[in-house]
Amino acid sequence: MSPAGLLAAPLAVAVALGAGVWLVAVIDILVAGTVAGSRPGVGVAVLRPVRAAALRLLQRRTSTERPDWQAWALAPALLVGLGATMLTAVPLDRGVAVADVPHGVILLGAAAAMVIVPVFLAGWSPNSYLSLVGGYRMFAQALSYMIPLALVLIGAALPAESLAFGDVVADQQDLWNVVRMPLGLPVYLVAASGLAFWGPLSLPSGTDLSGGIDLEASSVHLAAWRFGQRAVLVGAAAVGAAAFLGGWAGPVLPGAVWTVLKTALLLAVLVAGRHLLARIRPERFVVLAWTVLMPAALVDIFATGAWLL
Amino acid sequence: MAVGGRLRRPVERLAAGAPVPVFAITGPGTARAVQHLRLDHRLEVVDSPRHATVLLVAGPLPGPLAEPAARCHDALPHPRATVWWAAPDHVSARQVLPDAEPVAAGTQPAATVLRVHREVLAGSRPSEATVLPDEDPVAWRGVGPYGHGGRGMTGGHPFGRPLAERDGDLRDGLALDAVPVTFGPFLPALPAGLTLRAVLQGDVLQQVQVEAAGSSTGRVLPPAGPVGADWDAPGREASRAGASGRGAFDRVQHEPVPLAALETARARHHLGWLAEALRLAGLEALGLRALRLAATPDPDAVAADRLGRAVRRTGALTALGRGRAVLQRGQVAGRDLGPVARAAGVAEDRRAQHPAYRSLGFEPVVHRSGDTRARWEQRLAEIAQSLDLAARADRQVIGPGEPVEEPRGPGGARAATCRALLGLVGDLLTGAEWGEAVAALASLDLDPYAPAPARGTA
Repeated sequence: MSPAGLLAAPLAVAVALGAGVWLVAVIDILVAGTVAGSRPGVGVAVLRPVRAAALRLLQRRTSTERPDWQAWALAPALLVGLGATMLTAVPLDRGVAVADVPHGVILLGAAAAMVIVPVFLAGWSPNSYLSLVGGYRMFAQALSYMIPLALVLIGAALPAESLAFGDVVADQQDLWNVVRMPLGLPVYLVAASGLAFWGPLSLPSGTDLSGGIDLEASSVHLAAWRFGQRAVLVGAAAVGAAAFLGGWAGPVLPGAVWTVLKTALLLAVLVAGRHLLARIRPERFVVLAWTVLMPAALVDIFATGAWLL
Repeated sequence: MAVGGRLRRPVERLAAGAPVPVFAITGPGTARAVQHLRLDHRLEVVDSPRHATVLLVAGPLPGPLAEPAARCHDALPHPRATVWWAAPDHVSARQVLPDAEPVAAGTQPAATVLRVHREVLAGSRPSEATVLPDEDPVAWRGVGPYGHGGRGMTGGHPFGRPLAERDGDLRDGLALDAVPVTFGPFLPALPAGLTLRAVLQGDVLQQVQVEAAGSSTGRVLPPAGPVGADWDAPGREASRAGASGRGAFDRVQHEPVPLAALETARARHHLGWLAEALRLAGLEALGLRALRLAATPDPDAVAADRLGRAVRRTGALTALGRGRAVLQRGQVAGRDLGPVARAAGVAEDRRAQHPAYRSLGFEPVVHRSGDTRARWEQRLAEIAQSLDLAARADRQVIGPGEPVEEPRGPGGARAATCRALLGLVGDLLTGAEWGEAVAALASLDLDPYAPAPARGTA
């Protein structure tokens, strides 16, 4: 990579991540308002996330009794980093990607597996019981969504005979994976919600834990942590758009626009899920994941294999 | 971290337009009034004092709650301020939080919250100092080989905090770490005023003890005027109700009240309950829709029906599962438990004794299974039933001394209802997982302040 590229790449990822997280917040405000029956104007919705972030900048941090400061401070940074890593592997347009590595799908899987680490650190370090329960809940749900997540992504890569996201997208120009493997995207969206501990799978940060892993965070730390969570959501949506919705493929508009539109569409679906589906209980999700999600992912990958033969 | 230098002004200007994050401490009889602040776009009621800039204390605090309130106060990040809504008149009673900005009982606090928030951010109002000393409850004692005073690596009370101890698991006998933890009285996942002392293994409650603020033996501070009626939302209607500001179920103790008004108040109470239950189920937005309906003086039956169907579509009832936190008929019969008893198949309802209700063909709604889900179903059905009764009521009037069924149980038995529920909670929650326990507690709709002497009585 050229020196200019070395500078431009992180900048591009940062801008994309920031824009994505802002978009999640705006969609969230609009969907929540619609469900609640009092939607604010788009102007208000567009500015509110920025205003809320500014407010966090003005606050000072609080501390709990004997926290593990290093681990606590590391958690949001790690989470943002993982969201960024997911985004780097996704091509914006044909041949335009920060790092369309030959094993992009594996990289994504590795990043997704690592998400447990910052989430558990965030739960464990404040030395607070409900946060800790939140951290452990992440283990329970991650053990349940990880294998289905990996299976449907490998299923998406099968027809392309490549693990690079560029090839996976290029292979879908005629027929998107969402049609070729109808079970893939639904399973992936459930897994993505689990990965970003979002909506019905916000078990680590649920209202029943009064925020759980979020409970003791304050000020910039809280803002960074929530940014990280939504960064993972954005990363997961971008990967979903590439793996199942044909990435840059689409008529008239330039490829990059299609990639962004499809990512936004998946984000809207994930945000709608947050407001339209109740949070599931941890043990129930574990059972559902192993008895429904996992077989569905296996059927998905076997059917794809059979179709390719 | 706080932004300084030349960046500060623009950041301040941006931040000024953000909804004010408020952490609420809910005192006796203020639960509904505080809940309705969620409808105000200028405020954001948050789940943790660490996320807030303003602490809102509502109503007078019973003596034993002063220290927990101060602890919440000290958890707010700087810059911070306190607003005390319906503060006790006696200055001595306000010593817990001496810098709090008082707001009169009959006034909505949002404007004051907004003002102190802006002042404290701009620096024109000093950020409130810590109230409690920042020190360990007990000094490190250095007992035993690891210094904590327990056996091996477990047990003991380092710094006065109990450390986990090996204990058999309730469900499979596996020896795991059991930790005694106290939750509440202001944890937003629990009813305000409820303290839950539990021994937990992971998130399974092994032993449970509950204590209601209203039944504590400590000194109860002098009551202030009503903040907002308990049963009615403190909307325009409540303020028009004038001096008393009380709901239909309070008024019927002294004067005749139309049956329709009582049934509307019941529906609104249950809608308020639904809003809170939905919030705890992770459906804040739908909860706001329920709350908005609860805040209308005359909720529309069609809108309530649509809301009920929307609730079912979210899978909230399915997520509760079946057979969770079951109350058997024998446990609830004859104990003034109202909808909780009816959800377990006990057709106890004072309304069945009243000729006015009988003339409308009233039959109590009953569910059989007595679990958390049945209690949801029960209240959803009672919302529809009450709105139907209110619509069909002619000019029937219920007078003082006649049989009245309040939203939580028989009229005149508020304290008894709460005590009976508290007596059941320990058994009900033992062995439950945390999320299940929170849902079960919410489904009981208990008011931990109810056992206290009635407000306004000398």
